[in-house]
This record gives sequence, C-alpha cells and structure tokens, in this order.
Amino acid sequence: MRRRSLAAAALIVWMWASFAFAQAPSPWQQPASALAGKIADLLGPGQARMTLQNLSSIPSADLGVIQKLISDDLRARGIIEAGPGSANSVRVTLSESATKRLWVAEVIEGDDTQVAMIDAGPVTQSLPQTSGALMLRRVRVISTHAPVLATLATPNGLVVLEPDQIAIYARSTTGWRKLQSFPAAQVQLSRDPRGILRSAANGQGFEAWLPGQYCTGALSGGSAAGVWIVDCRKSDDPWLISSGTESPASAVPGEVAPALPVQLPNGQTNVMVSEATAPALRAFYNSARNYFTGITVPNPAINLPPFYSAAFIPRPAGGYVLAIGGIDGKLQLLENGALTPVGGARDWGSDFAALYSGCGSGTQLLASGSGQAANDSLRAYDLPAFEAITASDPLAMNGTVTALSTAPDGKSVLAVVRTGADQYEVDRVSATCN
Amino acid sequence: MFRQLAISCLFAVLLLPADARTRPHYGGTIRVEVNGDPLAVPSGLARDLLFDGLTTFGPDGSVQPALAVAWRSEDRDHRWQLSLRSGVTFHDGSPLTATSVVNSLNRSCNGHCPWSVVHAVGSQVVFTADSPMPQLPALLAEDEFLIALTLGADGLPPTNPIGTGPFQFVSAVRDTVTLAANQNCWRGRPFADTIEIRGHRAVRDQWLDLSVGRTDVVEIPPEMLRQARQQQLTIVASPPVTLLALQLLTTSALANPMLRASIAQAVDRSALFNVIFQKQGDLTAALLPQQLTGYAFLFPPDRNLGKAIALRGGLTTASLKLAAEGDSAMQLAAQRLALNLHDAGFPVQVVPGNTPNPDLLLRRLPLESSDPAAALAVLMHSAGQNDPANASTPSALFRVEKNILDMHSIVPLLDLPRAWAVSGKLRDFALRADGAPDLANTSLESTQ
Repeated sequence: MRRRSLAAAALIVWMWASFAFAQAPSPWQQPASALAGKIADLLGPGQARMTLQNLSSIPSADLGVIQKLISDDLRARGIIEAGPGSANSVRVTLSESATKRLWVAEVIEGDDTQVAMIDAGPVTQSLPQTSGALMLRRVRVISTHAPVLATLATPNGLVVLEPDQIAIYARSTTGWRKLQSFPAAQVQLSRDPRGILRSAANGQGFEAWLPGQYCTGALSGGSAAGVWIVDCRKSDDPWLISSGTESPASAVPGEVAPALPVQLPNGQTNVMVSEATAPALRAFYNSARNYFTGITVPNPAINLPPFYSAAFIPRPAGGYVLAIGGIDGKLQLLENGALTPVGGARDWGSDFAALYSGCGSGTQLLASGSGQAANDSLRAYDLPAFEAITASDPLAMNGTVTALSTAPDGKSVLAVVRTGADQYEVDRVSATCN
Repeated sequence: MFRQLAISCLFAVLLLPADARTRPHYGGTIRVEVNGDPLAVPSGLARDLLFDGLTTFGPDGSVQPALAVAWRSEDRDHRWQLSLRSGVTFHDGSPLTATSVVNSLNRSCNGHCPWSVVHAVGSQVVFTADSPMPQLPALLAEDEFLIALTLGADGLPPTNPIGTGPFQFVSAVRDTVTLAANQNCWRGRPFADTIEIRGHRAVRDQWLDLSVGRTDVVEIPPEMLRQARQQQLTIVASPPVTLLALQLLTTSALANPMLRASIAQAVDRSALFNVIFQKQGDLTAALLPQQLTGYAFLFPPDRNLGKAIALRGGLTTASLKLAAEGDSAMQLAAQRLALNLHDAGFPVQVVPGNTPNPDLLLRRLPLESSDPAAALAVLMHSAGQNDPANASTPSALFRVEKNILDMHSIVPLLDLPRAWAVSGKLRDFALRADGAPDLANTSLESTQ
C-alpha cells in the first residue's frame, strides 16, 4: 500500500515537473531546433559525435541545456550521438558578433567539412540598479532611433520634438505608438540642438520652440478622436522656459500664470512673489549655439549671464526663486534683484529641472551628472538656502542625458537619454519619499 | 583580445575629464599633430573636416545620409538615384548642385569608379553600371568619394580645397594646415573656431608636444599603444577598424593559385602580433572581424609551414617583390613576412612602398561599416576588386567570404585599432567609424 502511495506521489511530481517544463520552454529551444534541422539537412540520419564550444556571452550554466536540446532534436531527426571513434562529427560553436548571437555547426564527414549557421537572436545586456534616501525611479516611455529634443505628455497623446519634425504618439495596449509626424520648418541647426515643448493654454495642444522656429499643435475638434494640426514658422521670439503651470499648485491645467514682475520702484526685482504658481518666463535662445543669451521677458532688470538651464523653485516662506545654470558652469539664484552663487553644485551637468516630489522641502532640482561613470546619472537636490544638498542617491541612466523637462503636473521629470549612436529613449523620472 | 581592447577603451573614457556632463562650449583652437600629410588623398585628416560625402558612416558604422538625403535603387541595383540635400553651400558660397557632385565624383575616381556612368538629373545624381552595385551607398561614404568643388565661379579649378564640411581651408604653411569653422555648415557650426593640424610630425615629438601642452590631439600607432598606456597618456582607442592584409598579384609570378595558397599558409601572424604590433588588435585569417560577423573563428589564423611547402610542391618563382604601404611598423612587418616566405621556399625582396605592381603588397584596408555585407564591399573596393555578390544572411556572407579567401588574392593578417591621445582640455572627444577623430563635435573646456 505504502509502495503504491509513493509511486503515485512520484507520478504526480513527474507530471507537475513535466507540466512546469512545458509551461516555461527554454529560450534556447527555438535556435537549438533550428540548428539541429540544418545539421540534419547536411548529415542525414546516422551517427555522429557532437562537441560544443562557447565563444559567446551565454553563461556556462546554460551550455548543458543547449547541448541537450540540440542532441534531443537531432535524435528526433534520426541522428544518434556517437563516441569519439565515429567518422562523422558535428562541432557546434555558440558564437556572437557585437549585436547578434550566431550558432555555427561544422559538419565533418571524413575530409569534407560543411558549415551551417543560424541567427540565435540579439545579444542582451542587463541594466544597473540604484537605490537612495529620496528614492528616484525611472520608467521608460519610448525609445527611438531619431534624436529627441523634448517630449510632452498631453491628455491626447505624447508629443516628441525632433530636430526636423514633431511626432505624435498615441497610447496603445503595448505602449506608445507613433500616430503622425509633421515636418518642422527648414532652419539651420546647431550641433547640440535643443528644443522646448509646453502645454497650450487650453491644456489640450502644445507649443514648441526649436532654434529659429516656433510651432503650435492642436487637435481639431479638441478631442482625442480629432486630427492633429501642427503649424510651424520661422521665429526668433523668446522661448517659454517657465509657463507657470508646472507645479501641483496649478489647479487648472494650462492655467496661465502671472507674468514675472518687472523692477519695483525701490530697485528690487520681485522675482520672489507670493503666488500659487511659478511666474512665467521667456528667454531668448542663441540659435547658432546651444544656450540662452541671458535676455528674458519680462526683464528682471539685472543682467543675467548666458545660461543652459533655468527653473523656478518655491521658497519655504512663499514665492519662487529662479535657479540659473550658466554656461560658465555656475549655479546661481536670482533673488531680491541679485544673483547669488549656489554651493555644492560643482559636479552638476548643464541640465536640471524642478521636481515637485512632496518629499522634504517639497521641491527638488533634478540635475544630471556623469561623475566617473561612463553613463550619466540623475540626482535630486534640495536648495534650502544657497547650498545644494543631495536629496537622493544618483539614479543611473542608460546613456547621456541630453534634455530634462518638468512634466505638466510637476510631479515627474521627462529625461531624454542618448543610449547609443542614433538610439534615444525618454524616461519619466519620479520620486518617492522614504 | 577584443575584450582587452574594450576594457582599455573603457579606461580611456574613464580617464577623460568627466566630472559632470556639461553642454559643449563654443570657441577656441584645437591643435592636432599627425605623422602623415593632413591633406593627403584620400584619407588625410584635414580632408574629413573640409569635405562631406553623399553618405557617411555613423559612429555605429551604419550608412547615414550626408549630402544625399535619400536614395533608391532600380533595375536590380544596376541603377541608383540619390536626392541631394537642399540649401547646402560650398565654403565659397556657391550652391551644391548635382552637376558639381558629378564633376567631383568623376575627378575622384578618374575612370576607375564602381559605376559606369554618373550624371545629374535636376537635383538628383544617377549612377548606372553594367554589374549590380548593391552596396553603393556604403561605397559612397568612403573618403575617396568626398565632394569637392572642382570649378570656381571664374570657371577655373580653385587654388585651395573647397568643400561643404564643418571647417574651411585658411592656410597651409610649412607642415601646418589651418582650418576655420564653417558658420554655414549644414550640420551646424562646429564648436571649435579653429583647427590647426601639424603634419609630418614624428610620433615621439607629438607625444612630447602633448606633454608640454603644445598640442591637444596626437596619434598612437597600434604598436605603441602599450607604451602610451605605460606613460599614462589619456587614450581613446577604436575597436579594430583596419585590416592588415597581404595583397597578392594574381598575374605573372603568382598566377598559379597553389603558390598563393602556399603563401597564405606560410605567413606567421603570431610573430607580427607579438613582436611588431606589441599584442594590439586581433589575429585573423578572415576578411571581416569576429565582432562583425560572429563566424571569423571558422578561418583559423595558424601558420602551417609544412602545408605551405607541400602546396608549393617544388615550384620555384622568380624573386617576389614585397612592398608595404605606410609607416615604419609596416616596413618591419614586411621584413618579417619576407622571412616567413623564405622559410617556405619563396625568394622575396622587400622594395619601397611606391614600387609599381609589386607581387605582394602589405596594406591596411578599411573596416568601417557595421553592416557585414557593406563592410565586405567597401573592403573589396579598397583592395581594387569587384563588389562581391550581395549576401543577406550570415551563411550566404560566409560563403561569399570563403570564395574570396579561397582565391588567395588577399591574405588577412591582423585586425588593428586606431588610437589617439588627448589633452585634458577637450570635451566630447570621440572617434568616427573609421577611427579618425570627430573634431567637428569636439569642444574645448576653457572656452565659452
């Protein structure tokens, strides 16, 4: 009776294991079968000795599985594995190029060697992991072969600004799918091209600035079922670097914020104002270079230096202060009509964006940097006074960060990352409090 | 070995100043020193800055649009039609036209072109040939086909080189070529204002100048890479981008294929690799490197002197002339190969590189494209041989390559990288697909 129970248990375990194996086929099954088929075509039924060598990045733990898969498939095709004395032999090499796995079989019959090879899929790499106090996390939104200058998520789709066109992506079950693209005006580009996308005042469409041109996009009919209409024209107008809507305090999407006040009679420039939203600010861009000239609208009545990046951050006491990343590498705060250098930002890159995380001081600046690593990273900083204090561990990115912009809701930052030659991805970076 | 090179490249990147990812600054002068002539045709360093091709190889080795924005083939690759980029001007302000492109191409290959006829049709350039040209876009990315202005506004050939590239010619005084930023470059103005390239400078002197801050970029020949690392120079090295190969004349003394097969077995790649090239690069008996195809291991690079003697079969030849293109390392390699061939019973005489029609020519062939079929076509064109049949699968390409190698008109020896040492002032210094520096996208740290 007991023996019968054990046999039944063993049968159940075997069936479960068989079922599990059937549910999760080895990723090598398909290429192994394809290679075995090619070997069988060359060799025909019979006996052969098989050897396997690995010149690829496939871990050695997988080699036994691969060899067994090939042997089993060959057996099913009438080729039985023989010992060293066999006249026929099959030398299988798991090889790869820089991008693809290539499995090669040398079928040796006497003095005659024939070669068969199959494409066994792309070479894959694993991604690094990070952790931190204020935890940054990133989610890839899209990846593309075209250079991306900026992106904007609207209620009706994802807008992607490229050097020569504006692409609209629609959400599908598998992610974002390119819906339409519109050519931008033909103007001469910089070698480090930049662009800005902002939500239109009604929150449905968008405005885009590229070197020497300005574009608007709107949905005809104003609903997701409508057709996008994009209009571009040559323009040297200043770029809207802060619309005043990129903060959670902005209750109405697309609400136009009060303009940046001009110089007050007492000589002070009231940048730090008690407003629920950050002031709007436009800046002239040097289209032949890659930076803003320092001339802004409204004019703060102080000469701003040429700068790469600028962002408003709220002060605990109320109001906003403008952070400026100059082309000289200095981070300065414009407050009370004066520019004050900020310490602790020497290792920052040229790009930063405000992130309204709700953690700590509530708002951090997310800055790029590369440190000693090959790839860039993003890190959050608090600016309680005139010192940048790290608020998170670095978040490793998959390449070089080429643009950062605060999302319309202010709670995340969209980062454009060049991951390789002509390979770009857009990541949404958000923060969680620890 | 490839892994070693990849690690050294990684170290090079780590050694570059990279405290923070800043946007590139405009202005300043980048000073470069090279051993060769900066204006030498086809691959002088200055030429890449002065001229553009119809197509180009991207940093990843893929064929990308340059002066041509689109192309299509017809009649099973016998006819190609390329559309020119609009609004491009030469450095003298004259517009780029299909006619100017045709004139430049006709001058560049002077009857030895991969096509039969090239002509202008409106803003399009049309190529036709008797045999198919499946890889024409890749071939047009070669330095040989860079587009230069051949006739000025006065109807005469210009006295200075004029192209559409990121820099324009200013002067060539003694050995120094000075170039200035092309403000109207269709790719955007380059970051540096000026490039000064000093040519004909011995490598040791280049390194000395770099150490005392007299230059920003210097060459490191593969055979001196190890030494440069010991001196802790900041090195940027490419993956293997040139194939060192022995090209055999298939007429006269080496008309017998058995003799050529014997020579292929007699060469000792290990000696070249270990002694002359100081263990840099990769031994190879394949035309295309392993990291491009994945199958190069099927061509074993081992020497088999016994088989070489057997293949020669007692045949004797007149003294073979062996010439080497290039620098002193190439001359040393030629001497070494001559000894190898003596061992197999071939009388060999090493002759100067400019000797016409040598029986054996040691040379470097380009490996730029990331597409194996295109890379093979470019390599064969550089070797003066026909465009091989197009192959779309690894198996088909392997067969094409094996057929070429079985003719023994080219004996692959080593895949070699190109390397440069740079000063700490440079930002975003990177190499192009051919291993040459991409100076148009390099900027200087201290300028604004």
